[in-house]
Amino acid sequence: MPLSFSAYVTSALFDHSGRAAFALGDGTVRFESDETVEAHPDAAILCAVAHPSGQGLVTGGDDGRLVWSRPEGAVELYAQRGKWIDAVDASAESGLIAFASGREVRVLDVKDPKFARVFAHEKTVSDVAFDAKGRRIAAATYGGADLWFARIEGQKATKLKWAGSHVAVAFSPDGKFLVTAMQENALHGWRLSDAKDMRMGGYPAKPKSIAFLSKGALMATSGANGMVLWPFGGANGPMGREAVEIGHDETALVAQVAATPQGTIVAAGLDDGRVWVAELSQTGVHRVRDEKGSAITALALSPDEGRLVWGDEDGNAGLVSLRG
Amino acid sequence: MTDQIPVTVLTGYLGAGKTTLLNRILTEDHGKRYAVIVNEFGEIGIDNDLVVGADEEVFEMNNGCVCCTVRGDLIRVLSGLMKRKGRFDAIIVETTGLADPGPVAQTFFVDEEVKARTRLDSVTTVVDAKHVEQRLDDSKEAREQIAFADQIILNKTDLVSEADLERVEDRIRGLNPLAPIRRAERSAVPLETILDQNAFDLERIVELEPEFLNPPHGEAGHVHDEHCGHDHHHDHGHDHGHDHHHGPRGHAHQDDIKGVSLSLERPIDGTRFTRWLDALLAQKGPDILRAKGIIDVAGEDRRLVFQAVHMILEGDLQQPWKPGERRWSRAVFIGRDLDEAALREGFEACAA
Repeated sequence: MPLSFSAYVTSALFDHSGRAAFALGDGTVRFESDETVEAHPDAAILCAVAHPSGQGLVTGGDDGRLVWSRPEGAVELYAQRGKWIDAVDASAESGLIAFASGREVRVLDVKDPKFARVFAHEKTVSDVAFDAKGRRIAAATYGGADLWFARIEGQKATKLKWAGSHVAVAFSPDGKFLVTAMQENALHGWRLSDAKDMRMGGYPAKPKSIAFLSKGALMATSGANGMVLWPFGGANGPMGREAVEIGHDETALVAQVAATPQGTIVAAGLDDGRVWVAELSQTGVHRVRDEKGSAITALALSPDEGRLVWGDEDGNAGLVSLRG
Repeated sequence: MTDQIPVTVLTGYLGAGKTTLLNRILTEDHGKRYAVIVNEFGEIGIDNDLVVGADEEVFEMNNGCVCCTVRGDLIRVLSGLMKRKGRFDAIIVETTGLADPGPVAQTFFVDEEVKARTRLDSVTTVVDAKHVEQRLDDSKEAREQIAFADQIILNKTDLVSEADLERVEDRIRGLNPLAPIRRAERSAVPLETILDQNAFDLERIVELEPEFLNPPHGEAGHVHDEHCGHDHHHDHGHDHGHDHHHGPRGHAHQDDIKGVSLSLERPIDGTRFTRWLDALLAQKGPDILRAKGIIDVAGEDRRLVFQAVHMILEGDLQQPWKPGERRWSRAVFIGRDLDEAALREGFEACAA
């Protein structure tokens, strides 16, 4: 199903019930069932994630608001005018939402309106991520990543240091590794048991999109002419091992990757607007959108790997079934 | 390739008139929509969705280049603004009064994503005619802001005499012979003359020639050099071993920062010149704030145009020399503690 919106597609994703939704640069959330929710009037949505309840999306905007949108309407969860909210994550397991607002990471509990945690950082936080259980939060910032226990008040962060600016962050599904994307064209990683550093470089562009799959045995990233897959099995993760590249195409860079933690299907969105998927047990890639356009900015696989959704800079979007 | 959005970087010392200028840009009916990135949110008393606060977080790139510093917050804010694509026409970045303009300018050359979507249009510096001399005496940042500028708005001219203005302009030109100076009262300058100027565009450097490095006598930005044939302050004074710290008013070349203009009537050996410029920027990059030039390369019909911000160099062969046109090479280096004699010697040694 090809779709066309009049604004930048910040995020395209599935909520836990499998319903597709798009979060746009014009401040609206569009559901596949055709509802439009004015989540951030006169503002732009900067980040989005599925709500922990399984219903709808949580979005952060350049109006300083965090909003929960469902087809029936929008609910404001937090607001501080003048501070952009440009990173958000949520955990269905713990029912928590974490978001970055300037140098702070704030945590909300969807079941307890009184619950609020604020974790301060020395520099602006660029990205936040929960571990698989939703108990720990990693914040990507300047000079490394800070780890926090999501519910504990008055704690000191565990600091994972590495010089430079870290712009995206993800835990491996087993919680053994943390990976950040850097301002330079490289990833950095830490083995959390001993904070051992892992350097993953050689990219021609910033590898800002990261997705784990295959029960955590593989990590897919953007930032190269093909999708880069790093082996993450075993105690050493990618240390001392080589990455492989699939779907290499000299004329384009992979801008977005998508996968599910347990699955074996990967999807790539290119900077020239094309989209493909690959099944790891098979060779070759299957082109989902061959038409060229502006860069793909949003891409997601449904939890059951049955559907794929994407969007680009100019508001073109699509939703396809990957089965039959 | 998507269109690149023009970005004007607005610098200037506290009280120079930046906020007044920004308020004019945001309120005047000029038919354009500007996104404004400010450092102190709230100072602009205007409720506008396109006014964004930023934190001036400067960091070094891990690329082995010591002067390669960028503004991390700016990279994030620009990436966020791109999500409002189509809802604004241009971006203005205001820096704090104490900011070094280097990292903000370099952000537009170092970050590939920023570079792909935006282009640095100009660094515009607002100075207060009444207090600028004092500021230049006591503040390194004030000197750097002028040295870095592509254009200078000399504001509050109604508060000083014509003689004062001329003395101030002389001193500004000693620091920066490249930037045109526009006089203004209450930051009232025609916006179309300061925004969307393509001052960073190499093509534009060519368009502005042959006078770009030295507008005619009596015009804004004119520099007295060997081509205007009268006595001036550029050919003496740097080797006297004088005290660089007392910096009294009106003694222009007491400033640690100055512009050095070089020229050569003979063609230049392209390889030798490139090697010299690369080595110069590699060694002196931290001290060289800006450089621009047009080079007549021996055996090449097109002119070589370059410009640099610290160690970041952009250069290209541009349009051919016209038949009968005066072919000569010109370059200006603006920087801290520049050895003018060594620069001239190195430049002239590149002659083919």
